[in-house]
Order: sequence, then structure tokens, then C-alpha cells
Amino acid sequence: MNDNKEKKYSMETHLIYGKAFTEKWDYNHHVVPPISSSTTFRLDSAERGALGFAEFGNTCNLPNGEEPIYIYDRLGEPNKEILEENLAYAELGETAVTFASGMGAISAIFGVLTKTGDEIICHKTLYGCTFSLLNNWYPRYNVGVKKVDLTDSFNLENAISEKTKVVYFESPSNPNLELIDIKQITDIVKKFNANRNETDQIKVVIDNTFATPFCQRPITLGVDFVIHSLTKNIGGFGTDMGGVIVGPKKYRDVIMLYRKDFGAVLGTKSAWPIMVYGLTSLPIRLQKEINSAMKVAEYLEKHPAITYVNYPGLPSFKYYELAKRQMIDYNENFAPGNMIYFAVKGKNAEEGKENGRKVMDFIAKNSYTITLAVSLGHIRTLCEHPGSMTHSMIPAEEQIKEGIDPAGIRLSVGLEDPADIIMDLSEALSQI
Amino acid sequence: MGFSTDAIHAGQPPDPSTGAIITPIFQTTTYYQEELGKDKGYVYSRSANPTRTALEKNIAVLEKGKYGLAFSSGMAAIHTVSKLLKAGDHAVVSNDVYGGTYRLFQKVMNDYGLEFTFIDMTDLQNLKEAIKPNTRLVHLESPTNPLLTITDIPGAVEICKAKNIIVSVDNTFMSPYFQNPLLLGVDLVIHSSTKYLGGHSDVIGGMIVTSSEELYERMKFIQNSIGAVPSPFDSWLLLRSTKTLAVRMERHNYNAFEIAKFLQSNISGENRANAKYRIKNIKRVIYPGLENYPQHEIAKKQMTGFGGMVSFEVENFERAKDVLHKFKLFTLAESLGGVESLVCHPATMTHASIPKEEREKNGLTDGIIRLSVGIEDVFDLIDDIKQALA
Repeated sequence: MNDNKEKKYSMETHLIYGKAFTEKWDYNHHVVPPISSSTTFRLDSAERGALGFAEFGNTCNLPNGEEPIYIYDRLGEPNKEILEENLAYAELGETAVTFASGMGAISAIFGVLTKTGDEIICHKTLYGCTFSLLNNWYPRYNVGVKKVDLTDSFNLENAISEKTKVVYFESPSNPNLELIDIKQITDIVKKFNANRNETDQIKVVIDNTFATPFCQRPITLGVDFVIHSLTKNIGGFGTDMGGVIVGPKKYRDVIMLYRKDFGAVLGTKSAWPIMVYGLTSLPIRLQKEINSAMKVAEYLEKHPAITYVNYPGLPSFKYYELAKRQMIDYNENFAPGNMIYFAVKGKNAEEGKENGRKVMDFIAKNSYTITLAVSLGHIRTLCEHPGSMTHSMIPAEEQIKEGIDPAGIRLSVGLEDPADIIMDLSEALSQI
Repeated sequence: MGFSTDAIHAGQPPDPSTGAIITPIFQTTTYYQEELGKDKGYVYSRSANPTRTALEKNIAVLEKGKYGLAFSSGMAAIHTVSKLLKAGDHAVVSNDVYGGTYRLFQKVMNDYGLEFTFIDMTDLQNLKEAIKPNTRLVHLESPTNPLLTITDIPGAVEICKAKNIIVSVDNTFMSPYFQNPLLLGVDLVIHSSTKYLGGHSDVIGGMIVTSSEELYERMKFIQNSIGAVPSPFDSWLLLRSTKTLAVRMERHNYNAFEIAKFLQSNISGENRANAKYRIKNIKRVIYPGLENYPQHEIAKKQMTGFGGMVSFEVENFERAKDVLHKFKLFTLAESLGGVESLVCHPATMTHASIPKEEREKNGLTDGIIRLSVGIEDVFDLIDDIKQALA
């Protein structure tokens, strides 16, 4: 079946079939792709080997539909490449390159887009390890990192300099679910890029892990590169690690080259489950989880022990109008995601932190449906409390200065019956 | 081709579409058909799956047979052999077979009108006498589990061939590396591939190999009808394993032989003066490689090595229990044939399903301890045995 014929089908169908007939592997006789399990590949001749190496990193010049030459797993093999086709499809991007983890993908995109003397602008709130990557490692290469509040686009206009090469953010952000107006960011960057030549263009990169491609397709809003931790919603079952960069086709070669040389390559035995049961079930999982998250958020909002609830689906949410514009599913329905951030009450910062810890400990010991664990986007409901866990060494007052609410709790809603999740939450909140 | 060459290459050429050196895990249940009745040899994975086919071809070559069939366990393989019989048929079985085989025949298949006679197969006169007009199958293990008794396989074949009786040999203990019963004339070779074929204690499986097209077709039909087939992943793990079968078996054999000699030397008292520990009261050591082993000569004729299993006998159950609990490196566990050394007490573990009287009549007393010698450093293993027996 050619691409044009496939286009008439809906995205949910596409996620199940991917490119039904791929040139990546003539496995189509098998209804489910085999698990590639070979580190190395037999070459017909030295000439073909040479051709394979020549083509690697030079695919832009190859005609479409050319059968790939596999040489060595780290360079490329069929499972990853089929998954990559499907992920590009899901994000409505041109191409995708997978990595061993989300951090593998994030470090690759910065590695590809920056060099000494350049500058990265990022949102002030980021996933902790991304923050660490930019704070601990990039200064060594003399790449500047400017952290600004991108929820106000005015800050971006002020921050961009001659050196700026990358604007990076998450929306919703981790852990507190701030939303950034993606279209506004890309419009501003476009304005600055108008006066720059091709090699100096500023690229906009978003980590779309929280929203998932089901709830938000940033490339349609002008973003250049979308990153995912496949470990989360896309993998979904919590069995495998992975990451991906989705972006323009002309960048595929350089990203593949980076992956080959830095080596954060996705294992075939992880690519396979993400491809076979992760991505295919993403829409049905997310639909159910959004419904449940809405109920849980409404419950929390009314609870007397709660100060506030950040959930993009709540009309009271600060960024509700923005959420309705940019978080929409493949069928144009509002899709506010499965992540909730809420804060418990306390007379002061220290008591809020202590109450958060109490709720967490109660959940850890007594809850059936809520698991105290890092990670998110899992079929099980997971929660974590940055104030007493990842950031516990910092005094509560200091946490506030760093933008962490000591009383804040992050909840990733899973596939359980929402009434059960609410029951477990209500028992835990009664501890306050 | 030499054994180790076949182990690595037979049945598994590079994947034709990608060149992948290692056979993919064909994790699919069903297959696309171009049109009605037109397929590529695969329709549904219970009937056939390419990863399993690669395994079946590989083991068939290693056992010097034409056809291989893979099962989800060794018992599923033996069950399939017993399904070659029909109500009213009779089978003769060696009396110290694996307890699970005894249980299947005597407590399950009996109910379907099959009749089994268990005999001491070391004396072929017993076999001659046990055969009846309705005898269709002779099933034996050589060496047996755990007493390692040897049956003269060509001798048994000669008796059966004349009467058109199928001979099946469970070759689990030797692996195809040390014994190829098909070359000795038997019809069917059976393996619990969980053991030496798998070798890493991480996959359950069974195999049957034959060169008879007729028996193969029938058993393939049974395999598909019963449905006890291994998963593609298990098949792939076994393909990983057979590649190192030759090097593993050499080492199992070497370590077991050293241990058997060490134990034997303690019986004869040769090492006593220098021993770091005083080893008390080993009544006998059972290893076909020892020259004083009663069937050492037959063993040498039909086997090219003596394997990794060593049994020995202490005075009684109490003493056995005491020794078993003292092992530190040898792990107390069922199963055998893995890279790690295991120790077991057959009377209460692997052979508990055989009645005590029956067991003792065959020499399987409560004092028997079975070692599955792994491929660790043999000095460490001997030290562990020394301290356990001290």
C-alpha cells in the first residue's frame, strides 16, 4: 500500500498499523514484526558494505523507498527503524530517531544543535535531569544556558541574543504543569530567524513527554524538534526505557551520526514492546486516563486539605484557555492529559512539606491503586512529592525560592477505576 | 561438519531479508496469506514458527537425525512419544527413569489403556522377557537419573528391531555432544532441553529427534494437536545455548571427572593423610568415567564423554540431610545441566513420585546425593564438597 492510500485512514488506525508495508524489513508476511536479535549483519559483498557506510549519514540524497543496508545494530536495525517511522507519524513529523532513554534523546538534540560559544534559552522549570545536564555539563563546553520564565513570551524576546541557538521547554512542565504558549514561542523565534542565515537559525525544541502526541502535536504549532521519554506514556506499561527526537528529515543524518558516535542506541528488545503494544494502545490508554484524571482533579479541587490543583482540564486552571487551544487529540477533542499537580495545606512552608510527606507515607503503606514511585505515564497510578523526595535536602523556604512548592504532589493517573483512585486519595488526605 | 561448527551454523543462516547474523525472535502468532491457500510455510505459530524451525533444524543436525521437534518441556516431548501408542499397547521402560516420566506413564497414561512394564534394563535378558506381542515401545535412559546406570543401547536396539518395536532414548544426561543414540540404531532421541541444551537454567523445553519420516509426520501432527510448543523467545534462548554446548560439555565433563576422582580417593583412603578436612563415610561414588564403575566399558563404547552428573551415597537420610544443608557453592535445587552447580536429594525431590520400595529395590536409597557439576572453578567446587562432607 502506498503512502497516499494510507492517508485516508485515521491516526488511531495508523498507530496500530504504522506504515503497513515498510521497506525497513520484509517481515510483512508476519503479522507482528519479529524481534531483531542480531548485533551484526551479513553483507553480500565488500562493495555493499562500503555502500552501507557511504549511505549512513547521507540518506538525504537517497531516493525514497530504498531498502536500507544494515551493518551493525548501533548504526541501525529494523525494529528501531520501524518504530521510528511510527513515532514520526504519531507526532506528524517528518522523521524520528530513537535513543536508549529520554535523556539520551535530550543530550543528542543539544549536542547536534549547539557548539562552543552558543547559547540555549530554556524555561525556568525543567525535569531535574535535563536541568542537571544543562547546569553541570554544558558550561564545560562553554555553551551558555539562560533560564527564563517562558510562560511570559516577553521574557523570550528579551533573552534572545546573537548567540541563541536553541529555545527549549516542556509544556506541561515537570512537575508543576505550567503551560507555555507553543505557537507564541515559535512565532517569536520565526521573527528573529527572518534575519538569520540557515546555519544560525534558532531551533525550538519541546519535551512533549507529559502531553504525549495523542494530546498535543507541537510540530503543527511550528516547533522544530519534539522529544519524548518513550519510557513514559508512549511505552506506557513501565517495562522499557527509551527516548526519541522527532523533527525535519534533513536533520536525520546528523542525529543518526551523533547517536552512532555517542552510542545511546535503543535496544531492539526495548524497541519491540514500545512499538508492538506501547504506541498502538496510546489512544485508548490516554482517553481513559484523561477521563479519570478529570474526575480525580475535580475531587481534589473540592477537598478541604488542598490549596490548589493544577490540571489543564479544570476551568479554574491558570492556563485553561491555552490548554484548550493547544492540547487537543487527533479528533480535535480537548485532551488535557493524565498528569495532575496539587498542593496540600499547611500553616507555613515547613508544615506543608511535612503534610505532603505524611500523605506520601500513608499512600506508600496503605494504597492499592496509588504507588509511590518516580516515573509517570504508567498504566498504574504513580505519585511523588518533590518536597520530601527529589528535593528533600533543600529547606522548605529555599524550595519556594527555587520554584518548588514544598507541599506540591505530582500524580500520574493510570488505568485503574477512578473511584478506587479517589478512595485511596481520600484515605491518604484524611491524615492531614 | 564438526559438532561445534554445526552447533553454531546448522538451521540458522543469516536472515535473508536483513542479513542479521542471529535468527530474529519471530514473535508473531499469525501470518499474512497472499491468497487462500497460499502461504510461505507459516500459517499459525502453534503449527510452525521460524525461530522454532531454526531450533528444530539445529538440534536435528546435532543429534545426527533428519527431523527435530521442539516442545514446551521435556515432559511434553515424552508425552508425545507415549501418544504414538494406542489403547491396548504395551511399553517397556527402564526402572530408574526420571520420576516425572514414571509418573506420566504409570499415573496418567495408564488410564488410557496403555500398559507399562518397568525393568532393570542393564540386563538385556530382562528386556527379552518383558517384551510381549503387543509391545510397541521401549523407552530408556542411559545413563539413568540419578544412578547413572548404562544400558547397552545397540544390544537393546537389536532385540527390538527384530520385533518392530520403537526404541526411544532420553539423552538428556549426555547431550548430543557425548552420545548420539540415533547412530546406535534407536528411533527417537528425547531431550529435556531445560538441562544441558539450555545450559543456563533460564528456559524450560523439550526436543525429539528422529530420522524416520513416518514417525516424524505422526509426532508433528501430535505436536500441533496437543499444542505444547515452545515460545519464539524460548526457542531463541535455546539457539543461543546450543552455540556453546561443546565448550560447556567439555568443562562439565572435566569438572565432574575431577570431583568423582576426588570422592573416590576418599573411599579408598588414599588422600586421607593430607586432607584438610576429614571426610566421613562415603559409601560409594557413581560416575561412569571411573575405571571401577561396573559399566565403564559399555560407557566407553557408546559415549564419547561421561558427562557432568556425579552421584554418591552416604550412610542414611540424616547424614544426607546434614551434608545437603552444608553446601555453600552447590545450590540445593531440582533440575540439572546448568552452568551453576546444583545438588539434590533424589529420594525426596526428583524421584519422590516413585514409591519408596520400588526406589530402594533399584538402589536409589535415601543416602544418595546427586551433583549436577557446573562449569565453575573445579578447585572451588572440591573445597565446597570437602567442607560439606567434613
